[in-house]
Amino acid sequence: MTSYIVAHIFEVIALMAAGVYATAVLDIILGRALTGCAPRIGESLARPVQGTALLLLQHGTTTEHPDAAGWAFAPALLGASSITALSLVPFASSGATWEVASGIVYFGAAMALVMVAVYLEGWSANSVFSLIGGYRFVAQALSYEMPLALVLIAAALPSESLAIGDIVRSQTHVWNVARQPLGLPLYLIASVGLAFWGPLGLPEAKDLAGGTSAELSGIALLLWRGAHLSVVVVTAAMGAAVFLGGWLGPWLPGTVWVVLKTFALIVIILASGHTLARVRLQWFVRVAWTILIPAALIDVFASGVLVLWAKTH
Amino acid sequence: MFVDLLFWVIAATAVVTSWRVFRADSMVRAAYWLMASFVAVAAILVLIGAEFLGLVLVLMMAGEMTIMAIFMVMFMMNPAGLNPMNMVHQHRTSIVAGVVAFLGLSVVGIFGVFPTHPVPLETAAGTRTAQLGMELLGNSMLVFETAGVTLLATMIGAIAIANNRGRYGSADEGSSEPAGGDS
Repeated sequence: MTSYIVAHIFEVIALMAAGVYATAVLDIILGRALTGCAPRIGESLARPVQGTALLLLQHGTTTEHPDAAGWAFAPALLGASSITALSLVPFASSGATWEVASGIVYFGAAMALVMVAVYLEGWSANSVFSLIGGYRFVAQALSYEMPLALVLIAAALPSESLAIGDIVRSQTHVWNVARQPLGLPLYLIASVGLAFWGPLGLPEAKDLAGGTSAELSGIALLLWRGAHLSVVVVTAAMGAAVFLGGWLGPWLPGTVWVVLKTFALIVIILASGHTLARVRLQWFVRVAWTILIPAALIDVFASGVLVLWAKTH
Repeated sequence: MFVDLLFWVIAATAVVTSWRVFRADSMVRAAYWLMASFVAVAAILVLIGAEFLGLVLVLMMAGEMTIMAIFMVMFMMNPAGLNPMNMVHQHRTSIVAGVVAFLGLSVVGIFGVFPTHPVPLETAAGTRTAQLGMELLGNSMLVFETAGVTLLATMIGAIAIANNRGRYGSADEGSSEPAGGDS
């Protein structure tokens, strides 16, 4: 029992490490390709490894009276939350690493801790730009969280279950991306906010000179960047399961479909960072509360009506 | 055996982290120690089979503790909550409240009747989570809606007080930029 659990923990950590590396490479390739440069695959494959080696050797700096415990804990919390959430994603019809009856609630709980991790990271450094970054993320999180939760509730409605395996199985005939056209776009916007990436990379934006990670160096910066990328990976993996039918698909084995769909969503999230301008936080908060949340509520009501209609006809 | 060991470790974590809440010298630290304690309680709920309740506890507390920390910082006017400050006030009232709460819970613990067998995961009435949903939107709906409206009113009040147009007038009074001139 114990060895079984330990083996699975290592399996998920290895999966996440591979996903983070692949995402880092993809980001470099996309950055080149979208600006019309040659992708230079070999160099792109090597750069994350070189960057990791450099940060491992770099000496660490510190600030005046940081909250050392919180500062060390925040990247671990961020990484652990996304690794835990990844263990819920089913990679084949046989199920996830960890089958949980309330899987979608578990995902929500793990992703709620992202807000704690980013705020703590920004607050602990005892530095102005980091602190503003942390506060920015809280305002951002309170704006994307409701649309995120609501579209996940809508996606769970047709399966009449909170288990992610059941949600995938309910998409055998038609995927949620088609059945609930509002779902995936809202989920992707919320994911970009959750992963504080690209246009919503406000806590770490250039106007804050790096914000939450402004004071990081060496291994601390490496861990934070890895944890940051892991959020991109897990939101894409969960989006692929919940909206794109997970392992469902013809010809190829289920696991291959899961990986392909996950990377399709990762590419969309990464591409937003290379194409869209960074938005202002005030604008995003207003848009989230006046457009995204009502749209997500419409998604829930429409999905509910559809489920009831299908039951009576 | 493994589960028993896990329970005692988590239970000890819950107690130690909640003790740290009162030893912390900053509102953010106190809020997050409290969250750590809630996460440990959530883990115990998962262990006893109330999976949904445990997960919802973490889901809610992550946001609530952060918001609480930020509101406390806004109320206390302690710049960003970074400066160490005494977090324990009104000693006599708190001691009385603590002792009364402890005695109340002890009475429930000693005289309450607890089931000795695990509740089956699924009964004729559906899964535990489904039963919980029926209860929340059925017999107990009025109770929960009342609690919800009360919390909403409290939140609106808290925002009104923390707002820069709050109790003491505009927060930027006397510090606003000069009116637009020619230069």
